[in-house]
This record gives sequence, structure tokens and C-alpha cells, in this order.
Amino acid sequence: MSALPTPLPTNRDENWRYANLRPLAKAKPEAVRVSAPPASVALPPVLPGYERWVFVDGQYAPTLSSSAAASAASLLDFRDAGQELAQQLDSDLAQAGADFSLARINLQREGKVLHVSVPDGAEARLELNFIASAAAAAGTSYPRVQVHAGRASRLRLVERHLSGDAGDSAVNAAFDLALGNDATVDHCRLQNCADGASVFDTLTAHVGDRATYRLRSVTLGGLSSRSTLFVKLAGRAAACELIAASVANGLQTHDVFAQIEHAGPATRTRELFRGIATERGKLGFNGKMIVRETAHEADSDQSLKTLLNGSGAEAAVRPQLEIYTDKVRARHGATTGKLDEQMLFYLLSRGIDRRQAQALLQWAFIEDAISQVELAPLRQEIEQLIAAQLNEVSALDGLVARA
Amino acid sequence: MSLLAIENLSATVGGKKVLNGISLTVNAGEVHAIMGPNGSGKSTLSYVLAGRPGYEITGGSVQFEGRDLTTLAPEERARAGLFLGFQYPVEIPGVNNVYLLKAAVNARRKALGQPEVDAYEFLQLVRARMKLMQMDESFLSRGVNEGFSGGEKKRNEILQMLVIEPTLAVLDETDSGLDIDALKVVARGVNSLRSENRGVLLITHYQRLLDHVVPDFVHVLARGRIAKSGDKSLALELEQRGYDWVLEVA
Repeated sequence: MSALPTPLPTNRDENWRYANLRPLAKAKPEAVRVSAPPASVALPPVLPGYERWVFVDGQYAPTLSSSAAASAASLLDFRDAGQELAQQLDSDLAQAGADFSLARINLQREGKVLHVSVPDGAEARLELNFIASAAAAAGTSYPRVQVHAGRASRLRLVERHLSGDAGDSAVNAAFDLALGNDATVDHCRLQNCADGASVFDTLTAHVGDRATYRLRSVTLGGLSSRSTLFVKLAGRAAACELIAASVANGLQTHDVFAQIEHAGPATRTRELFRGIATERGKLGFNGKMIVRETAHEADSDQSLKTLLNGSGAEAAVRPQLEIYTDKVRARHGATTGKLDEQMLFYLLSRGIDRRQAQALLQWAFIEDAISQVELAPLRQEIEQLIAAQLNEVSALDGLVARA
Repeated sequence: MSLLAIENLSATVGGKKVLNGISLTVNAGEVHAIMGPNGSGKSTLSYVLAGRPGYEITGGSVQFEGRDLTTLAPEERARAGLFLGFQYPVEIPGVNNVYLLKAAVNARRKALGQPEVDAYEFLQLVRARMKLMQMDESFLSRGVNEGFSGGEKKRNEILQMLVIEPTLAVLDETDSGLDIDALKVVARGVNSLRSENRGVLLITHYQRLLDHVVPDFVHVLARGRIAKSGDKSLALELEQRGYDWVLEVA
């Protein structure tokens, strides 16, 4: 096991400018050893039609899971998995991840990898729950998932990161996906760890001809959270939809670096980020869009918006475009602002008190992203968590869908 | 006691004096129309009454049912029974219409010491009012004014007014941008609110609304003050002669 690199990236590195790495630096880098997983963990009901996999501190907890007998997912030893996975995953992308990601730098050489393989033309629904239970001083958990979606397959993947006993766990997750031609993957991730946790993740996705990768990513928890995403639209007419939402309050820092590379012709990206920073919360979203020479007729659309509510709140959204061909459509917009005064006055003029009006407008802002979580029970779960995160459960009663 | 008593009211917007000594009394049961050319202060008057930030009162007084309106926050004015129908209603995606209506009604009921509205009765009431306004029920689940046409927004303002049942409605150019059929629907809504307990202040550019909502009084606002008052025949005269002759007198 290699230790964390010395020194860690600093905020002077523009790709890490908004991340808060201090909590991770304090965590013990060795993998947490779990003798026996807890008998129960607090999880919402299993999503209808989904098989559930639960991992505690990165290790599979069979008694908490309800996986199907003929599951698309299986656990592989990391050592054994290496060769097979290397053939399925994109080596350039893996290298980009390795160059960039703390997860790869601090690779766990032992342990298990959840390997998901959806055969050509098949469908699968998986719910992956990662519970961080141990304190950071006892070690770091390393969830590792590798996904291969076969030709014309359909995968619906739900991924939750939650906290168990300790409030200050360290998590360093790695996801690698390869989408075959005509495959569709709907991937919803929810990070709602305790407010003292450090949650880092790196995701790579290689998208084949006419395949579609839809990622909805909601970040609510963690003292420090950083997602590093690399998506390569390699095939003709490959598409990516990245919808991200984040609420950072207290002393939380939520940072996202998302690089989407258009390599194939007629590739499409739609990227939308809505973030709210309150109190002394900090948000960063760096959306880097690369359009290669080969990607003529590419089409990308970025809309990155943050809302600040509090004098100590900070946000930085940064759309970046690198375009190496002429025939492209690339739209981008980024704003950081406060609550709209006209909207606020409109609500006040209807007798709604100021606090509730402010809560409603924050809600309306973030709903832009949350409404695009298509799976209704999951959307309801997220809406309830957001109302709680905004400290406005009662103010938003009636708007938040009940499960 | 009058519903609304404005005495010698002056106000500035962005440091510029816009209202310049308005006096106006509205009694319960009365409909007053305020007309006047662009820039005469009509919309400013409506915002000053509703308490919009940035509209600063520099002189005079406004009493609403005997209370000093100027000391109340905008939401307190609304709960006290004042309703502003906006000239340009804002869109609030993500907050649906039925939620806003219910929150508004309950805010007013709370101020009146009444319990929250019964969900079933509320929906029945809203449906009946929507029918009157010829609005499809699907509007209820849509975001507030989200993607509504200009006419639909104005109908939605009147719908809100009918559901909230204010004591005094200030309608700022509710007729602008409406075709003749929509104008009739809006007028029907306003007329249905008329009662001996309520007052209406209709702000308009044109006489045509007043064919359908017949006012008890018509006032012409010019250069931030009321230049002339009369009955509904004044509106007809303005329609024929324009505003210049009033401005000359003022």
C-alpha cells in the first residue's frame, strides 16, 4: 500500500483550487478493517425492481444486501480483476484518472471490486449503498466499482454514500464505467455522509457509439467532498447528461471537477449544475469540455449556477471549453448570485413570511436539477434530504413529495 | 372609517421623486380607477402601497383600515388584506401554483386567528374560481406563472386575488396585453370580488376595462399627484380627448 503522496495537491493547482484536502490528509490511509458488519443500517426501502448491495467501510455486507441469484454484479479480487477489466475499460481514461485522482494514487491493492457486467441487450437495476462507519483515524474506506454495459444494454444504477457510526469517516471511491455501443446507463448518485466526513471519488466513463450515459449527482454531506469525473464520448453520437446539485452549509466544502471529452463525431453533452451555499459553505464546480478534432458536429450545453445565502458563503463555477474543430455547437452559461429580489417580493406580497419565501426560492433553484432525477422514490428521498439540509423542513412542507 | 386613506403622499424611487402629494380615500364597497399617462406614477403608487423595497415614502401618510400601512412589512400588508395584482407577474419555477395559493391563504387565516384551510374545501374553492377564470386545472401543478402567456399570467393574478379574498385589491394594469375575450374574463373575476366590504383600486391606461368593471370614481394621475377626479364619465372623456387637457389644467 502506497501512502498518500507528499505533498498533496494544493489549492494553487487550478484543478484542486476549491477542494479542501485537509481532512483527508489527517485520515489514516490504510484500508479500514471490518471484523463484522453491523446487523442493521439506516437505509430507505429497497427501490422497486432493484437489487440491493450494501458495503460497510468498503467491504461487502451480505446480510444487509438483497442481491439476485443471477446478478449482473459480482465481487472480484482486485488482483484477479485487473486483466479482465483492463480490456474492457479505456486505458487512456484510466491513465487520466490515475494521473489525477487521489483514489488511484492511494490505490488499495487488496480487497474486492464490485464488477458489474450487463450482457448485450440485457437490462439490470442495481442499488449500491456505501456506508462509512469507521472514524478516519481508524482508516479509509475504498469503494471500487467497475461497470461494463454491453451492446444495447440498459443499466439503472443508484449509488448512495451514507454514514454509519462515526461522523468523520474518510471515503475514497473509484468508479469506472464502459458503455458499449447503443447502451444506456442511468446513474444516480447521492452523497449524504455525515457533516464531518471526507468523501472523495473519481469516476471515469467511456461511452461507445450511440450510447448514452446519464449521471445525476447530488452532494449534500461531508465536511469536505470532491468528485472528479472524466467522461469520454468515444463513439459516434455518444451522449452524456450530467445533472449535479449540491447544498453546502456550515463549514462544508463541495467541489466537482468534471471533464467531458468529445472524441467521436456528433457527440452530445448536456451539463447542468445547481448549487446553494449557505452560512460559510463553499462550492466549486469546474466543468471542462474538450472537443477533439475528430468530434465534428459535436454539441455541448453547460449551465452552471450557484446561489449564495449568507455573508460567509462562497461559490466558484467555471465552464471551460477547449475546441479543436470548427463544426461544433457549444453553449455555456455560469452565474453566481443571490436570491432574486423580484421573486422574493412577489412571494412576500402574497403574505408568505420572509424566511419561508427565501426557503421556497432556494427550493425552486435547486429543483431545476432535482426534478431531473427520474426515479420517483429516489427523487422524493432526495427532496426530503434537501429540505432538511436547507433547515426548512416545515417551510417546504407540501412542496416536498412524500415517499 | 375608510378602507384606505392616503394623505399628501410623496415617494421617491432611486432618489427620484415620483409621487408628489397624492391624497385619495377608498371606502369599502367602492371601485376607484386610476388613469394617467406613462410615467405619471401609477405603478409607483401600487408598489408604495404594497411596500416594495426601493420605493421610499418621503412624506404624507397611508392608513389601511385605521392602521399605519407604512410601518408594515410587505407580507404583513398582504396578511392585513391588501393584494397587489402585478403588471408583470414573475415566474417562479419549482414552486407550484397550488402551493403558493394555499400558503397565501393560510398566511392570511393565521393573521386573522383562523385555523389552516381544510385541504378538500380549499381545492373545491380553487377549482370553482379557476372555472370562473376559464383556467385549466393543469395550471395548479405548474410552477408559478412558469411558461404562462401574458394573458394567462394576468388571469392567474386574478385567480390568486379571488382565492385570497383581500379587503383591498390594487390591480396594476391587469388589462394590459389582454385580448377582448381575456379582458372580459378578467373583468368578470374582478366584479365577482366586489362587495360592500371590499375596495378595488384599478390602475389602467385605457378606458376599455372600465366598460366591464364600472368604477365609482375615476382619478387622473399626472406628475405624481391626482390632477382630476370624477365619475365614470371622466374615463370616457379621457378616451375622447386624451390626457393633454388634464395635464394643462394640472
